[in-house]
Amino acid sequence: MAEAMGELPLAGLRVLEIGYGIAAPVCARTLGQFGADAIRVESVRRPDSLRTAGAGWVPLSVPWEIRRDTGTGINGFTCPEKRSVSLELDTPGGRAAFHRLVERSDVLVMNMSVDAVEQLGLRYADLRSLNPGLIYLNLFAFGSEGPYRSFRTWGGNLSALSGLTALVGWPDRLPSGLPLSFPDYPSSMWGVIAVVAALLRRDVTGEGCELEVAQLQVAIECIAPSLAEAVLTGTTPARSGDQTRSGAPDGIFAADDGRHVVVSVLDDDAWARLADVEELEALAADPAFATAAMRLAHRAALGERLSAWTSTRSAWEVTWRLQEAGIAAFPVLDSLEVLRDEHLASRRFFRALPHARFEAELCYGQAVGLSETPARATRAAPAFGEHTREVLAEVAGMSDAEIEALLAAGEAHEMTHRDVKLTRPFYGWIRNLVRLPWPPAAVEPAEVLFAQLDATYGGDG
Amino acid sequence: MTGIALLAGTRVLDFGAAPLAYAGRIFVELGAEVVLVEPPGGLALRAAPPLVPTGDGATVSATFCAYAVGKRSVTIDESTPEGRALRDRLVTTADVALVPTDPAEARRRGLDEPSLRALHDGLVVVSATPFGLTGPRRNWKGSDTTAWAASGLTYQLGDPDRPPVVAPLGLADAVTSLNAAMGAMLALRARARSAHHRGQLVDVSAQEAALSVMMEAGPQHAIEGQVPERVPRARMAGIGLYETADGAVDVTAFLPPQWDALAAWIAEELGIDEATLDVFRGPITARVPFNDVINGWINELASRYDKQAFFLEAQRRGLPAGAVNEVGDLLHDHHLRAIGAWHSEDDDDEPRAGGVACRLPVGPLVVDGARAVGGPIPEPGAHDDEVLGPLRG
Repeated sequence: MAEAMGELPLAGLRVLEIGYGIAAPVCARTLGQFGADAIRVESVRRPDSLRTAGAGWVPLSVPWEIRRDTGTGINGFTCPEKRSVSLELDTPGGRAAFHRLVERSDVLVMNMSVDAVEQLGLRYADLRSLNPGLIYLNLFAFGSEGPYRSFRTWGGNLSALSGLTALVGWPDRLPSGLPLSFPDYPSSMWGVIAVVAALLRRDVTGEGCELEVAQLQVAIECIAPSLAEAVLTGTTPARSGDQTRSGAPDGIFAADDGRHVVVSVLDDDAWARLADVEELEALAADPAFATAAMRLAHRAALGERLSAWTSTRSAWEVTWRLQEAGIAAFPVLDSLEVLRDEHLASRRFFRALPHARFEAELCYGQAVGLSETPARATRAAPAFGEHTREVLAEVAGMSDAEIEALLAAGEAHEMTHRDVKLTRPFYGWIRNLVRLPWPPAAVEPAEVLFAQLDATYGGDG
Repeated sequence: MTGIALLAGTRVLDFGAAPLAYAGRIFVELGAEVVLVEPPGGLALRAAPPLVPTGDGATVSATFCAYAVGKRSVTIDESTPEGRALRDRLVTTADVALVPTDPAEARRRGLDEPSLRALHDGLVVVSATPFGLTGPRRNWKGSDTTAWAASGLTYQLGDPDRPPVVAPLGLADAVTSLNAAMGAMLALRARARSAHHRGQLVDVSAQEAALSVMMEAGPQHAIEGQVPERVPRARMAGIGLYETADGAVDVTAFLPPQWDALAAWIAEELGIDEATLDVFRGPITARVPFNDVINGWINELASRYDKQAFFLEAQRRGLPAGAVNEVGDLLHDHHLRAIGAWHSEDDDDEPRAGGVACRLPVGPLVVDGARAVGGPIPEPGAHDDEVLGPLRG
């Protein structure tokens, strides 16, 4: 760390995001956290559905201009480290202002349907002439080609089509799937990967490009091990219930405190270490389970023997006893326990950051840890149109009179009721729970994480 | 097809960590050269279950095949001084190293970040561990399954009347890889901009990677004071899984016009005109009090269709829905075929594993109209001469 790199990898770049839901917003979030000036382009006529909902505790009598800033928690997670400008792209003035932003930007990130892209004049062919160096990305559901290209989907529908949903559940019942919009997240990550790879090429050639990511195919790639099995065998693997097929034991076991605990023994070395665990010596020595193949073949019998041990102690005791012996185990945590997890707190995964409408917002960590150029954590999600004037003046180079005219015509919008400040009703509890510093300050994530890293790795280890 | 060449000239060393296998594959898809560095006889990952018999008592690992397409392979015996020296020379030619997942093993083999960057300061060293390289649990063991347990997802998976179930095979590894690939890419850009061309360490925790794909599914409810539990398949009126004649469909009648489309379909097909009443219209909150009634209508509607027919009819009506495909159904999906999502059968570089064809999708990215191309699944040491030859001097 003697010669710190200082600048974040994307410092000096500008990213425009026209994002809905999760995929494009989370992509632009990461680009912003690693230094880009990320600007959300938002619309009153076509609002992000995460804006329209508003927090459940805000009475419906509160004007939408305030409610849209309250979001549900997730809006705070998807949009930190961004500015917000509100432009109506289907109006002449809004579109002209947007074009000026495009001319002065490096990257455009969207997740819009083929039809909407055409209607709004947002095809690559429409924008490339304004800025030949532009890196243009759309995170489509199905891509711009093929029979499904115009189909409308949410993440759950895509998870279903990808084969992912069917892999979760019990073999004797219908699948139960994942309770989340899974494909959005890996697609957002593919977006980051593709944009930065394209920037690396542009650094050399000066050329922009058109990038397209099909979320359906991203989800399929994430279950490639199951797909490879289907391709190799010609049959669909059965849903595996509470045990995986990666090895045995590898699955979920009952503890005596009404909770469940995961135990994973995936290779013979780990199995040999089981002999160090009191009361499991006999199991470890049983010749019926001597090899990984034998353990998989006798998975049910092995599971019964192990359950007899796990079910007479707590989930944490099981975890501690096995981890002490070097065996992978962990309690099945609920989401509250995750929020108050000391290990996550030590890595400062959850943070409280300043917000224009709230005293502070809880923000979600960035799972990409970089030793020399770590993600910044300076501000929570923007209020709707919080930076409309600032962005139109600074970036688009518009005069105050031009901006006023746009706002008056309803071709642009901005944050209203700026003096109305809210506090989330649960914040006192949450800040206690996650042990966040209070009041929140903009913090450098680098110091803590990598001081510890130096301590761990700095010596000869 | 010409493939994608965004990272042409970039060399990635893949030391065979399961949680980074997909990260290596992503680099292949972007046009980088990705080299599996294997001990004589091959990586342990080549024997990771599920194992599929290929005849003559031999097996092939579906887990290995999944992300090995297009990688190269060299075999090096690190236990000899010559082998170790050769490996270290190989390290100096690389841009990125995907290192072993156990920090103790990485240190023992000189594959930890300080050792590697002492050889080659410009190297980007990517580590994926169960809980990251810092914090009280930095030395804990983990697996794909513990990652989801530690993220709060496992708790929510499955049916309310039974214990939780596991996530799809290798899914935490996949999302760990995606975070690792993002980190590697960002570190390459940081290096390109730094005066001294310095690499850095990418530290990815599987627990955090799991959390990175569930923003809306855990903590966001917890901060509203709720702990998400396992819920029935039809989660709300018009949102969730419904049973058709041959499997399930996933329906999302969330926005008001999407409900209107579903209500009109129910009225037309089942003759239940009250589905279109104003009391049910508008935001989802209007329908929540009538969950049971509405879910009953949708189940009745779904039972009249096969899942694919329901999916297509829903889409025709503007209702977001998807058939719950079994993984094997993908092999026959006409959209995937039409866009050329699979490696071609007559491609010379058709992926083969243990002599058996293993046709997998080409990847989700299109760059200026070009998709990634495949390449074979390499046997151990298939590229020894090509890659190690110039280093043997």
